[in-house]
Amino acid sequence: MSEKKNDDFISYELQEFKLFEPLFRWARKKSLWIVAFCTGCGGIEMPPLATARYDFERFGIMPNPAPRMGDLFLITGYVTPKTLKRIIITYELMQDPKYIMIHGSCPINGGVYWDSYNVVKQFDKYLPVDVAIAGCMPRAEAVMDGIMEIMRKIEDGTADSWKRYRENYEYYRKNQDELFGEGWREKEARRWLAWI
Amino acid sequence: MDMNEKPKVEEKVENTEETKPELPETKEGRLVKEILGEAPYAEGNVRRERRVEFKVPPERIREFLETAQKKFEMLIQITVVDWLKEGEFEVIYQLWSVSESVHAAVRTRIPREDPRLPTVMDIWPVAETYEREGHEFFGVMYEGNPRLGPFILEPREYEKHPFRKDFNMLGYVKGIYGEDFDRYDESKTNYVI
Repeated sequence: MSEKKNDDFISYELQEFKLFEPLFRWARKKSLWIVAFCTGCGGIEMPPLATARYDFERFGIMPNPAPRMGDLFLITGYVTPKTLKRIIITYELMQDPKYIMIHGSCPINGGVYWDSYNVVKQFDKYLPVDVAIAGCMPRAEAVMDGIMEIMRKIEDGTADSWKRYRENYEYYRKNQDELFGEGWREKEARRWLAWI
Repeated sequence: MDMNEKPKVEEKVENTEETKPELPETKEGRLVKEILGEAPYAEGNVRRERRVEFKVPPERIREFLETAQKKFEMLIQITVVDWLKEGEFEVIYQLWSVSESVHAAVRTRIPREDPRLPTVMDIWPVAETYEREGHEFFGVMYEGNPRLGPFILEPREYEKHPFRKDFNMLGYVKGIYGEDFDRYDESKTNYVI
């Protein structure tokens, strides 16, 4: 672990903390809290994953209602433009580092809704994605495999979607504005976040 | 069929007059007979056990539903069907009789251009939501419903009434989400995906 490059992963106020970076990564990987924002049909695929047979809590994964405490954002199915607005705002509420995993073929390319006027076709045009699981719906084993993949990526530092979102913010912002129109963020957020 | 092609209005085939089948001597048959006695302008028949059907002219639909409400206490759903060739919308009020356990479909047809119907909100308050939905997806104006307007969809889709048969879905999808993923052409000649 010591030879892995970890300088640019997170900037700390105290440079000495870099020494503990491998430990932090291990801790991050072993305590993924998921934001329970279930879209589409993948929501009912989560209970088998959480209960006795697959039991994702042995990996430290916990469903968690507050985006401020979440690490992993699961997009569990098709995304409509209306949901995408909520997803983007929820994603921006989450603390860094944050990861996105998408389930099924609908967020990848539209899936069976490829000709629907109301389903977003390419999710990664609007938000960056770490792991995509293909399938309609992927079985619980496939979802477990995706979770193992994201844990591997966190450990070697390649799960960098939150960094890509910062670096390419203009690109993502442009695509979002093309879909929703200028000024949608303020208009929508004000409707459901009263303190803004 | 070409998506952009304008619908051809075909001439209606005249139905040969048939003798009306007698209503069966069941509870459904008695129910239909009772309602038709009060509302002779409607047509009614029994489809099968626990299913009955009425056809009502649109200008008297409110009157009929007020009559039917005495027997059918519950409004299950209001659905709209777009009959493009006939140039008509078919509005179906689905009613459920709690006391008799009978499901009724009350059908009425209104023209596609300027579709208007009176609201039934004051008979069944739940109709408000179904009327908003029918208004948003098909553009049917329910006169008297105060909350018609953008409901579930984005405003730009509300303007287009996307469940209408002449809504150019693929062209709209390409315009909104880009052409990065190839689909059918509008002419459906070029098969992709």
